[in-house]
Parts: sequence; structure tokens; C-alpha cells
Amino acid sequence: MGPNVLYHCPCLSTSSVPPPPHQISSSYSFHPLHELFFCEECDAVRCNRCVSVEVSGYYCPNCLFEVPSASVRAEKNRCARNCFMCPNCRNTLSVVPSDPPDAGDGRLLAPISTVGEPPFFLYCNHCRWDSSEVGITFEKPTGLAAQLQKLEDSAPDSLEFDRLKEHFEPIIRASSLSSSSTVPSTSHSRHHSNPITAAASAALARDIPGVGKYTPLTRSGRSSGKDRSANKDEMPEYKSRLDITKASAYGSGGGDVDVDFMRRLETVSEVASLDQRWTYSWSTSLETRDLKPLRIPLHSKHSKRCPACAHILIKPEQKAQSVRYKIKLVAANYLPAITVALPHQIEMLGHISAEATKRGTKSTAEDDRDTRGGLQAGKTYPFHMALTNPLYDPIQVRLSVQRMHVAPSGEGEKARRPPFAISIPTTPFSVAPFAEAWEYEDDEDMFALDDDELEARLSGREKEPKAKSKTVGVLEKRANVTVVGGEVALGKEARGEIKFNMLVAYTYRSDDPTPSEGHDISPSKKAVPETKTFAFYTVVDLGAIIPKDEDSRLEAYNV
Amino acid sequence: MEPPIYYSRSEFIETDTGNKVSRRATIAGPQNIILGGKTIISSGAIIRGDLRRSGPGHAVVISLGRYCLVGEGCVMRPPYKTYRGAFNYYPMKVGDHVHIGAGSVVEAATIGNHVEIGKNCVIGKFTIIKDCVKVADNTIIPPNTVIPALSLFAGSPGRFVEDLPESTQDMVEVHTKQHYSRFQPLDREH
Repeated sequence: MGPNVLYHCPCLSTSSVPPPPHQISSSYSFHPLHELFFCEECDAVRCNRCVSVEVSGYYCPNCLFEVPSASVRAEKNRCARNCFMCPNCRNTLSVVPSDPPDAGDGRLLAPISTVGEPPFFLYCNHCRWDSSEVGITFEKPTGLAAQLQKLEDSAPDSLEFDRLKEHFEPIIRASSLSSSSTVPSTSHSRHHSNPITAAASAALARDIPGVGKYTPLTRSGRSSGKDRSANKDEMPEYKSRLDITKASAYGSGGGDVDVDFMRRLETVSEVASLDQRWTYSWSTSLETRDLKPLRIPLHSKHSKRCPACAHILIKPEQKAQSVRYKIKLVAANYLPAITVALPHQIEMLGHISAEATKRGTKSTAEDDRDTRGGLQAGKTYPFHMALTNPLYDPIQVRLSVQRMHVAPSGEGEKARRPPFAISIPTTPFSVAPFAEAWEYEDDEDMFALDDDELEARLSGREKEPKAKSKTVGVLEKRANVTVVGGEVALGKEARGEIKFNMLVAYTYRSDDPTPSEGHDISPSKKAVPETKTFAFYTVVDLGAIIPKDEDSRLEAYNV
Repeated sequence: MEPPIYYSRSEFIETDTGNKVSRRATIAGPQNIILGGKTIISSGAIIRGDLRRSGPGHAVVISLGRYCLVGEGCVMRPPYKTYRGAFNYYPMKVGDHVHIGAGSVVEAATIGNHVEIGKNCVIGKFTIIKDCVKVADNTIIPPNTVIPALSLFAGSPGRFVEDLPESTQDMVEVHTKQHYSRFQPLDREH
């Protein structure tokens, strides 16, 4: 992993300032830019931790059939067609025919039917498990789930589950009548209520009688709460179909049966691993040879909403295998993308690649990165940050490093200043607007530039011979990218990782710019009301420091 | 910002559409192979275009889209089976923006667009990989597996690990285009 930049989502922090990067909580608050969303209504960054997720469609991950949500529950969230999983290795099973009858002369007859000879069975291409081992064969190669349905329905676990459902159904119906009248009124009094949570809590209260009671403000002494607890008390006692003490007799494991099995055990693979038995709802036999093919659980497509205003951030297209979205408000379309690089490392990697090409061997750049392109204590390194503007308007960016102290890492150690100093340009700079890709295909010099930018570019070019001395400041502007340079000075005794929080504030025009305004880069324009400023935190990780004492070892290694 | 990846000009052949094919790669039956343009075939790769369907006429055996990368030492071989007593090879179709890591063996039937396959993977016969899929390094995908869109597969046998982010398509597109532009000839005087 090279240097990287992560973006802050404020959903976990109580203050507006994120935790310092050396705290453990930091890694939970920062995410890669491409995983974040942006709510236009709230003008805020959202992440996968805070968005509310709704299922927008179900499909089988193997046959890719889109299952209508109405039949999902009846089919127990599993594919009801031909898809099965190997109980041994979780690979998908394929249906194979039996061998064609032997003609007697040692040659196989060419199969007559297109599908092959019955009986059919399920076969695993990976571990070679096959369903005839457990006595499951099929008359025809289609509608396997339907053929297995009888077997499944008569299994003790599904019978027990049906009995449980039967038992609870009248209670659920009774409580849904009472809760549907009380829940809407209580949900209004909750302080973070919105249509989604209200709907969700109503649905929960309808499905599970106990849950509706959880409304923090109404918990004490409301008549509705009493009603429901009264309901709960009325629940009749459930008698299970099977006596659990005798369950082992039905092949469900435990007791003398298992002891007997263990005595006869010859290889470890005869015992099914916990992983293999885990998904069964019923306690199962310990033996591998009792494992049954599993119906494949369905997958779902999700739409995502802003947790605060409930506006949709992600809405996928209906088709299960489509990767397009009807609505897709991702942060990458709003916030400038920042990539960070250490020029000495880049140069090193380029050299390594070039050397490898000359030698005719292939580059092992990844392995060399840590040693030759490393950061050594006591030295000063320049670093580059490239900011890419995704907006159709130019932006003014201001960077600032958040002050921090390293938390005491060991006992008895006091909080101290970080072992490195960061200097980055603090004056605002501009990043040109994003234009459609075809505009960049041509020679970049032909790209229309504002006068200021042109000047900056020209002056930048003149300075090119002595550019090495200038490390902090705006280094390069091309298309919608501005590269700024910074510098990190490492202390003599520095160790650990170079990570720092950086506040990025950018100002953009909220309306379309009028063509006459060419010189919109002057800072005074920031006061114009039609511009808006958005600020967000990032954590910049430049990589680990190679401590002093390791240097000698590395040098020895390089020789 | 990314460093260039150099190759020696004498090793690679560049076509009019920007495909870069190593002279050290084994391309069998080139008349049956289609490269979409700006696709890189690295050294040591083996592409078996000669394993064509029996019967007369022209047959496309392996087609790759734009901005693909076939890593070093990869083997691309069309899937085969015996159907109704007759042995036959079946064509392999690979979409755009597909990167296949070094040392992987691919016998898939179809691979969608924006797919990343890691290093040292085995993609079994007749595997169908949908769009925006990532297969982690060292994954074994058994024959006849279907990998749904936007999922990460890993392990042996390869299993579903997690959904990929919504912006995967854009990310992969940027990455494959960047890789192509970083892949530059090294001039001798360096």
C-alpha cells in the first residue's frame, strides 16, 4: 500500500473535529472516497455505516433469476429452482446424468436423449461430493427444488418450524390489531422520527409483538405499553413436536449416537466441521455422510437513503445484473479527489521498472517499494497532492493541517507532539472545472485556459529547471487537476506511521457562471453570496517511517 | 502521479488500434483471436486461439474487449465439453476493462466488463462472470460457477465475500485507462 487519503464521514463523531489519526476510532470514521455518498439536501457526506438500506429486489446468485418479493418468504429466502450448494465445500452443484448403459463391448453408447440417462444427481465440481452418497437422486434434471420439496417438508426441522408459526400466528394477528392503532401515535413523539423509521417500527411492531414497546419516550406508564405486555402474558405455552431429550434418535446428533459414531471413526473427514453444520436450523448429525445439499440463499439489491432527510442516495436499476443506477449520489461527484504521492518513491519505482526492462527480467517494484523508496527518520521529504475537480465550475481550495498530539502509546508515556512536521501551502488555490472527456483527448496545450491560469502555467514552466528547490506550493495545473507540493520533516527518533488530518475547504459557485467572468480566481470574489463553501476532513497517510536502527540493516541488504 | 511501467520497445508489437502484444507471449491461432484495442498481452502469456470449434468456416475462439490486460504467464484457453457424444471447444468472450493478474489460468465462457481477476487464480471451465466483479488473488473458481455483478469472490472454492461499492465501474475504468497510459516503451538512451 502506497500513500493514500481517506475522507471523513461525520456520522460517528459528536464534535465537528474528527479523532486524531493515531486513535483507533479514526479508522472507523474515515473511508475511501469511492465508498462515500453525498446528500444534496443536507449538504453532507454519508457513508455505508450511516445510510439506511432498503431491499429493492431479490435474485439468485447462481441462476440470476429475479425472485418477486411476494414469493421470497414462501421460498424461505432461497432459490426454488435448480440451484444447490455443496454441503461439503459450498460450491454450486451441477446436475449430472448417470452413465449411459454399457453395451457390453467396453465402449460407451452415444447417449440418445439430449439430457442424458436418469437417475440424475447433484455433483460438486470442486470436491467431488455427489448427492447419491446421501441417497438423493432425481427422475428428471429440471425443477429439482420441487422434487426435493417433499423431502424437505417432512424433515423434522421444517415441521417444527411450521408448528411454531402456527402457534404464533393468532398471537401476531391479535397484537397487530392493537399495535397498528397505537404505533403511529407513539412514533410522532419520538424525536428522531421520519417516515422511514416510522414505517420500519410499525412493520416491526406488526411482525414481532415485543418490539413495538421500545419507544424510549413512552416507556413509562402508557396504557398502550400495558396492553401489549398483557398480550405477552397471555401467550399460551408452546409444546414442541419432538421431545428434545429423544432428539438424537431422529438422527439429529447428541448422546449415545455420537459416542457410538466416534468409536467407529477412522478418518477426521468423516466428522462434519462446524462450518458445514452451522447453517442448519436444527441440531444435526456429526457425520459428513449425512450432509444434505443446501438451497442457495438469495442475494438482494439495495437502495440507500440519507439517514437525516430520507432522500434517496442510491437507487439501482430494476434488472438484477445491471450495474447502472437510476439515482447515484456518490461523494466522488461532489468532493475533489485527492491523491498523494512521494516523488522520490515514484522516481524509484520508475527506475526499478526501467532497470528491470533493461535486464530483461520483470519488475518486482512492489517488493522494492518498502526498502528503497522508504521514509527514513531524520530526513525531509517532499510530497505531492493532486486535487481533481469533479464539478463543472472552478473551485477554490484551501488546505490546512489539523493540529494534533500523539496519544500516549505506552503506559507512563506522556502525550507528545508528533515526531514529524508537515508544511503544506495555506493560501487558497484554484482547480479548473471538469470538462467532458473528449475535450482532453486533444493536445492539452490547446485546452482553453483562463489568463491567470495561463500565466501560472507559463511561469511554472519557466521555473522548471529550478523546480526542485520549490517543494511547497502549487506545482502544476493541467485540465481539472492541480498538483500542490508539501513537505514532511521527520524527527531523528521518529517511528511509526506518518498520518495527519487535513481540513479541505473548497468554494464553488452555486449557480452557473456568466461567461463574462473570466477572472473568477481572485480571493475577493469569495464574498459574493452566490458562492458556497464546503469543508471536509481527510486523513493523509504517507506510509511508515523506517527507524534509524533499521537503516544499517537495510543498507547491508541492498548491497 | 503513478510511475510509468516501462517495457522495451523491441519486445512489444503495437497494432493500429493500440494493442500491445509481447513477442514473448504465445499466441496460437491468431486468426481466431480478436483484441478490442488498447489491450496489453504481457510476456509469457499463452492464448489458445487454435482450440477452435470443429466444423467448417471461420470461428472466433477468444475475443477480448478494450483496455484489457492479460498478465505475465497467464493462460487463456477456451472451455470444452463432450455434448451428445461429441467433444468440442466453445468460444470465450471477455468484455472491456478486464484485468487478469499474472499467472492466472482462465477457461471462462464469458467475462463481463470492468472485471478484475487477481494473480494466480484459476477460473474454471464455463464460468460466467458478470460485470464489475473482483476475484481476489489466489482464488479457485470451480467449473460452471456463475459470479453475479458487483461481487467480490475469494477462496478455494471461490465464494461470495461482499458486495462491491456502487462506484466500482468508474474506479475500474479509471484504473485500466491509467494502466494503459502508464505502460510506456523505454528508449534505449536511458
